[in-house]
Amino acid sequence: MSGRQAVQVLALAVVLVAAVAFPFWANRTQPYYLQIAINIISFAILALSWDMLARTGQLSLAHAAFYGLGAYTSALVTTRMGLPIFLGMLLGSLVAVVVAAGLGMLTLRLRGIYFAIGTLAFSETLRVVTNQLRFTGGATGLVVPPLLGGQRVPQYLLILAVLLLAVVVSWMVNRSRWHFAFTAIRTNEAVAGAMGVDVVRFKVLAFMISAFFAGITGAYYAHVFLFISPIEVYSLAVSVGALVAPIFGGLYTTAGPILGAVVLRVGEEILRSTVQRGYPIIYGLILALVILYMPRGLIGVWASVKSGLATGRKETREPAGP
Amino acid sequence: MSLLVLDGVTKAFGGLVAVDGLSLDVRPGEIFALIGPNGAGKSTTFNLISGLLGPDRGRIVLDGADITEITPASRAHLGIGRTFQLMQPFHDMTVVENVMTGELFGHTVPKSLAEARRDAEAICHMVGLDQLVNRDVTGLGVANLKRLEIARALATHPRLLLLDEVMAGLTLTEARQAVAVIRQVRETEVTVLLIDHVMSSVRDLADRVAVLNFGKKIAEGSFQTVAADPDVIEAYLGTEEGDTHQH
Repeated sequence: MSGRQAVQVLALAVVLVAAVAFPFWANRTQPYYLQIAINIISFAILALSWDMLARTGQLSLAHAAFYGLGAYTSALVTTRMGLPIFLGMLLGSLVAVVVAAGLGMLTLRLRGIYFAIGTLAFSETLRVVTNQLRFTGGATGLVVPPLLGGQRVPQYLLILAVLLLAVVVSWMVNRSRWHFAFTAIRTNEAVAGAMGVDVVRFKVLAFMISAFFAGITGAYYAHVFLFISPIEVYSLAVSVGALVAPIFGGLYTTAGPILGAVVLRVGEEILRSTVQRGYPIIYGLILALVILYMPRGLIGVWASVKSGLATGRKETREPAGP
Repeated sequence: MSLLVLDGVTKAFGGLVAVDGLSLDVRPGEIFALIGPNGAGKSTTFNLISGLLGPDRGRIVLDGADITEITPASRAHLGIGRTFQLMQPFHDMTVVENVMTGELFGHTVPKSLAEARRDAEAICHMVGLDQLVNRDVTGLGVANLKRLEIARALATHPRLLLLDEVMAGLTLTEARQAVAVIRQVRETEVTVLLIDHVMSSVRDLADRVAVLNFGKKIAEGSFQTVAADPDVIEAYLGTEEGDTHQH
């Protein structure tokens, strides 16, 4: 192990220990922070989930759909059928995965903005339908039983574990042959196909992985906040949040979406408490500036700083033609 | 037996018949050139062979197996590799990673990332990209992008290599290097089907030539035979002169 790797492993270990120790401290002194932390972690999972799909060039506006399917499935099977909550959450994420496979097959031919609009239409349809159906509670919503007896510390540890799982999956995707398939498909689908990449398989797989994490996060939300309604879980704000954080933090990476989610949520909380009125305007302004002037997100800034420090090292130049 | 057979293949885009009842017969081990004026249907033919387009009529057969209905990826696995006329590197990847994608997905032998990298580096070396393996593809010049196209196609370990204008835009020296690479590829028992406008390269390389005009085959044979064919001369003189006299 090189010195740099050792530092990275050590840094990760410190973050992990701090993240695990945090709720025990927060629960005694600042219970509100625990609530915020649960929000941030859920947001980070959603962001990473969106990013894993985006790595294949599929820019989804359907993350609210997977989130909502997870939430509603788990809420319904636990309240109407009396299934245990853990089983409900698992079923919720599986329903999201199955629906994502179907949606993935349907949207295979759509690109860019057309794909985004197609997925948005799907998500909005689910919201409208859920709003009308009697067995989903309609517009009134559903009261949902609490996870882990409503205790915040174990709830926090559970969502932290889900984030860890998402991180491991994302990390493995980016370090395996899948990374080559995803990047090739994102850059040029026709060329990827001609080079032997099974485009359909990888695009649908990315959809399923992504939907699993969005679905389980939605189900978790239902059983932690104990009430869901179509306007909340199928909200466009969920889909937009899922894409803003990776763009802000740095696309197609594991750290970027998480960093983006943490900085955005913490920033939002600070703004909310310091600027009483009109904080969303300042929040929006900062977002716009970052997207305009930091096209590779926070991770990109970090990379430039690092390479700036390393100037003076020799650059590989393309030799001039003969 | 033929390696590749096109049997009455037709493809129309709306009212425009890009490829019209085309039949071809490419034998194992040969270098076969497809030439013709701009818009003759050469690139469409490549898209039909590699599966990016489906024909309206006709059959495409590779080594006795009908491949007309299968996906581009499956055709790659059966041994069809191709380059693209407009260079289409995967941005967000280095040179060697572009080539590795072919090593990882273009054939049916499973390879670890390390094996794929090692083999991709060997191919980069062969086509003259060895100085650039770890460079981002953004900012590469035309000659190196053409080399990368060839390297990526070779990484899929094709039995049939389709080269779409790999000489266009190259200097004379670079074109000669490309000719040498293509000869070297043929030595490894790869059959080559190429499209080119650079007639000197076609003359030097091709065992046989077919000439397309308005989607139809108007002549076939050795370079000398087709170059002397009155129909071919008329087809070329009917378009801009530059087509025949580049380089």
